[in-house]
Amino acid sequence: MVDENVSFEDNLKELEEIVEKLEKGDVPLDNAIEEFKKAMDLVKACDDKLKDAQDTIAKIVNENGEIVDFDVE
Amino acid sequence: MVEDYITVSKVTDYIIELFRSDSNLKHVLIKGELSNVKLYPSGHLYFTLKDEESQIKGVMFGAKYKLKSKPKSGTKVLIKGKIEVYKNYGNYQLYADEILKDGIGDLHRKFEELKEKLNKEGLFEQDHKKKIPKFPKRIGVVTAANGAAIRDIITTIKRRWPLCEVMLFPSLVQGERAGENIVRQIKRSENFNLDTLIVGRGGGSIEDLWAFNEEIVARAIYMCNTPVISAVGHEIDFTIADFVADLRAPTPTAAAELAVPQFKEIRNDVDQFNSRANLAINKTLNENMARLDNIVSKKLFTSPGEIYAPKEMQLDLTVNRLVHSSKSLIMKNQNRLDLAKSSSVFKNPGSIIKAKKENYLLQFSKLELLNPLNTLKRGYTLAKSEGKVISSSKDLKSGDELEVEFNDGNVNTKVI
Repeated sequence: MVDENVSFEDNLKELEEIVEKLEKGDVPLDNAIEEFKKAMDLVKACDDKLKDAQDTIAKIVNENGEIVDFDVE
Repeated sequence: MVEDYITVSKVTDYIIELFRSDSNLKHVLIKGELSNVKLYPSGHLYFTLKDEESQIKGVMFGAKYKLKSKPKSGTKVLIKGKIEVYKNYGNYQLYADEILKDGIGDLHRKFEELKEKLNKEGLFEQDHKKKIPKFPKRIGVVTAANGAAIRDIITTIKRRWPLCEVMLFPSLVQGERAGENIVRQIKRSENFNLDTLIVGRGGGSIEDLWAFNEEIVARAIYMCNTPVISAVGHEIDFTIADFVADLRAPTPTAAAELAVPQFKEIRNDVDQFNSRANLAINKTLNENMARLDNIVSKKLFTSPGEIYAPKEMQLDLTVNRLVHSSKSLIMKNQNRLDLAKSSSVFKNPGSIIKAKKENYLLQFSKLELLNPLNTLKRGYTLAKSEGKVISSSKDLKSGDELEVEFNDGNVNTKVI
């Protein structure tokens, strides 16, 4: 499984590296299948992150250190 | 005579012509202080320009587009324009093409001096500039809470990358206290685990933006551990903050665009990687399948007999040799056994015993000849002293006791 703590950026980068490795085609079959599984896990992790996308949360940090929602409208 | 009187408009037209014929009034450069400044919805700006002794009414058409911000009453200005008569009221007025704030030259000089100083110190070095994270989770913004800048930034981030949180650190962005306020908020923002910090405000005049040209602000941005994007004013305004920031954006909206990726593009990237990975693995599988087919079609699988037939032959040969060599070994031993069986020991043991007996008697008669006791029978004696045979007279002296052994007994004597 993909580590939850790894950033989206790192996941995307690793995914790109694996895809490039697989495309080169010089990976032994066993490894290739392992790498492919890992790639699919990464795709899923990225998908999940993107699906998570909700509305941007905007907050204002007041002088007294209080953090409250900041309404743009 | 009534005919001698002319109309108001006629005299006004005359005066208009008089003004127009004077080339001095076509291009005037006037300085003074603004008062009664009014910006009309039409976009025209009406004002009075005055000094201690005089005043003149003025207008700037399309000021809304020509000026970055509405000038305030009391501002000292430099105006370029012309003077003409306004026919409706019959008054002359200043038609302004350009309104600049007086004292700007001073600010420009200050700006250049500070830029030079900080540049020499190395505050603008590219080496020092931090990379802006590509996928930030939390972006801080130091700007006014009620300005357009924060609105533009939030709406842009919402549109492009809604996975990101925005934290506003409200600050004054204009006026005497703006600089220290911005510095304080930049420092505060460091405690909030931000990926990127945007520092800026919307466009304005050089004085409006001045806080972003202050040394303390420049140093705070330089010292900030969070990567900073400067977002001050509109495109033509460069500030010291822009030079020192890790990345310069021409507007707050542009800063937001530089701070976050485009959701659709990233979505597309992930999909692309997905299909590329699938294509690549299918290709690898197909290639391996082809290799397998190739191998399967070879001899081992099509006619395995051909592979082990020679081995089988070799095995036969070996077994043959093994059988042969063991047979000959058995034969050899059989012969030796037969030979042993045919020897006289087994056939006629009596003859061997007889021969041994004859040999024994022969040896015995030889021993008989050597027996000293037989010599005694012929009349010889044996002299012994203390059990030892005496063979020389020299071994004896007078008085020694001597035992003489005869064939039929012993006699004890003494040497005289």
